Amino acid sequence: MSLDFKQNYFELFSLPTQFPLDKQQLAHNFRALQAQYHPDRFAQASDQERRVAVQTTGYINEANEALKSPRLRAHYLLELQNVVFKQCDTTHDMPFLMQLMEQREALEAAEQSNDPLEVMDQLAKKVKQDKQLLESSFQLSLQTGNLVDAKEKVLKMKFYERLDHEVRRLQEKLEDEMFA
Amino acid sequence: MALLQISEPGMSTAPHEHRLAAGIDLGTTNSLVATVRSGDATTLADQKGVHLLPSVVRYQADGVITVGQAAKVAEIDDLQNTIGSAKRLLGRGVSDLKTLAGQLPYQFADTEAAVPKIRTIAGDISAIEVSAEILKTLKIRAEASLGGDLKGVVITVPAYFDDAQRQATKDAARLAGLKVYRLLNEPTAAAVAYGLDQGEALDEKIIAVYDLGGGTFDISILRLNRGVFEVLATGGDSALGGDDFDHAIAEWIVQQVDQSTAHTPKQLREILVEARRVKEALSHTDVVAVTVGHWQGSFSNEQFMPLVANLVKKTLFACRRALRDADIDKDEVADVVMVGGSTRMPVIRERVGDFFNNPPLVNIDPDKVVAIGAALQADVLAGNKPDTEMLLLDVIPLSLGLEMYGGLVEKIIARNTTIPISRAQEFTTFKDSQTAMTVHVLQGERETVEENRSLAKFALHDIPPMVAGAARIKVTFQVDADGLLNVMAEEKTTGVKSSIAVKPSYGLTDAEIETMIKDSMLNAKADRETRKLREQQVEADRTLAALDAALACDGEVLLSTEEQHTLQRARDALVASKQLDTAEVIKTAIKTMEAAAEFYVARRMDSNIRTAMAGQSINKFKD
Repeated sequence: MSLDFKQNYFELFSLPTQFPLDKQQLAHNFRALQAQYHPDRFAQASDQERRVAVQTTGYINEANEALKSPRLRAHYLLELQNVVFKQCDTTHDMPFLMQLMEQREALEAAEQSNDPLEVMDQLAKKVKQDKQLLESSFQLSLQTGNLVDAKEKVLKMKFYERLDHEVRRLQEKLEDEMFA
Repeated sequence: MALLQISEPGMSTAPHEHRLAAGIDLGTTNSLVATVRSGDATTLADQKGVHLLPSVVRYQADGVITVGQAAKVAEIDDLQNTIGSAKRLLGRGVSDLKTLAGQLPYQFADTEAAVPKIRTIAGDISAIEVSAEILKTLKIRAEASLGGDLKGVVITVPAYFDDAQRQATKDAARLAGLKVYRLLNEPTAAAVAYGLDQGEALDEKIIAVYDLGGGTFDISILRLNRGVFEVLATGGDSALGGDDFDHAIAEWIVQQVDQSTAHTPKQLREILVEARRVKEALSHTDVVAVTVGHWQGSFSNEQFMPLVANLVKKTLFACRRALRDADIDKDEVADVVMVGGSTRMPVIRERVGDFFNNPPLVNIDPDKVVAIGAALQADVLAGNKPDTEMLLLDVIPLSLGLEMYGGLVEKIIARNTTIPISRAQEFTTFKDSQTAMTVHVLQGERETVEENRSLAKFALHDIPPMVAGAARIKVTFQVDADGLLNVMAEEKTTGVKSSIAVKPSYGLTDAEIETMIKDSMLNAKADRETRKLREQQVEADRTLAALDAALACDGEVLLSTEEQHTLQRARDALVASKQLDTAEVIKTAIKTMEAAAEFYVARRMDSNIRTAMAGQSINKFKD
């Protein structure tokens, strides 16, 4: 029994090929596929079968990671529509970049505030909201077939992802310092 | 009752055949073997009825090898030939000995091999061989007690174990003549032992496994849904354990007994032994009498609490972090599983219960719980429970990446990604006519090569000469269910291939892993600085290469000698600036050189246009 690698990631999990995602359904179907193909199910089988199992579950895991993250999902949807992403592609939207820069500065300033962890929590919340706004506006661009705009928005999502990491890293750093 | 049993190919087994399988907890201090008998998982005892096998092996001149309690007893008299911390050396390289050797009482052999060997009276012995002796002893114990050959085993490893340490564990099992069905993370095994997958609720639930051993602390967040366990995140502190609690009590005793005189090492050892006894007694009673030499006193749980408040708090901070990595709120945690002898301390149980707002599960012996879970999983993998839905999905503990130009690391697979996984990424050549590329595989969370663990290095040769950026090199990482890595590289336009099974001869120390993760947080700023500097150095190289290529092409034609000298001076200045470790200085030098070359660039462009236009009819440029 082997998996059809020609299906796209959405088809693999029996999901509609679209940006809005039923997370429960994804999780459920992910586990069903794992239960079927995981190498542990082939502990008594031949090496050949076990290798196939490793490759198959590797593919399932990769697909799951790609759909779970809104940015990777958006990226993948555009690739399915033959939009090409290059390594050096980036947004040149100056107001957007300025706004991000301000958020980064606010983040650095938060360290000096009286209650840095609280300020950091607020900033994290704001980043999350902005990210969600961007995601819904991506959905709109995709629906109206404006792929150029849609790509621009995926590139912007990357910036939020980095900002998100930065917030988390600073939070952990502050906790470490408070503890030390 | 079914008259016919139909089995799938590859899964076929004679009806009623029960395969003998066991779970092994290969621990730093003690090891255990467990198996499932008539549906129940139990640990197996030796002939004397003892379950815990001290992880100690003694080598004697006559070739006799002693394992367990007998070896442990001899440890004091025969330190050099009695090896008691093999797990700490598993998967470590000769280079790791610098940091480890001071903590271990052994003599290491001068060896060419990458695997360090301990010099004993019976020859040079590696940690893999020592571990194999322990596994052999457990194998014999299990086979004697079950009355047959073991078909396969599940061996548990700390969730933190890296690629090299997992590989070394598997090597030890092979040496012991054991077939490994699977390496299983210790916390997952503990959750399995509690049968948390057997619950009546079909909805998913979150489980935290709090594992405080003698010298290490691990926290893992697991998600369970219809028999499928997923490790969502792991964390911990490899330098925090029950021993630290002993030391806290010992320090208190030292202060009480006598502050004026220095204690001999022997006295200190006695105090430490007493401290440990007191700590263990406090798990059963609230006040304990303390006796050291002629001094007598008493110590209570109430006194104990403030002494170790910071230690406990440290573990709870790691819990918070793991929860955040898993994107889980602590109220969502349905069950907290306690593992490791140190979780017998009431102070731990109380504070952990407070933190999760949920009393932790303690009814299975915390020393045995991991082996019991491993036995249950071994039983499933042996095919003895064909109807089970149990499936254990693990994650990789540390990110995997590749060295990029300029000594930076590009992460290919982030930590806490579910395995097995395969992921490919495309790279390109940096220089014109580049025909080979080194693939350097690294493990860790930091941004620069030196600060991560190098796992393997191999070269992809015979790339056809192309312009920089034209080659398409696809590098694929594949991690199997045990967390072991394979890397393949392929040039896409020609199909030239190269691959390596990453089987490093050494691994990271637990402390290194912990420090690496911590440093990646703390040194984020330093990393950024280093990164900036590297970026500018790369940029400088690029600018210099571009200038050199241009000069070689048409410098003599387009520039006067004096102009060439001017450019040469600007070039020298940039080369000099590269030696300074300041990104800003290099950046300025690049700008200065670019400014100096501006007229040359303009002239080249004109010249190019003239060349392009030469021979073209005017018509072509009309519209």
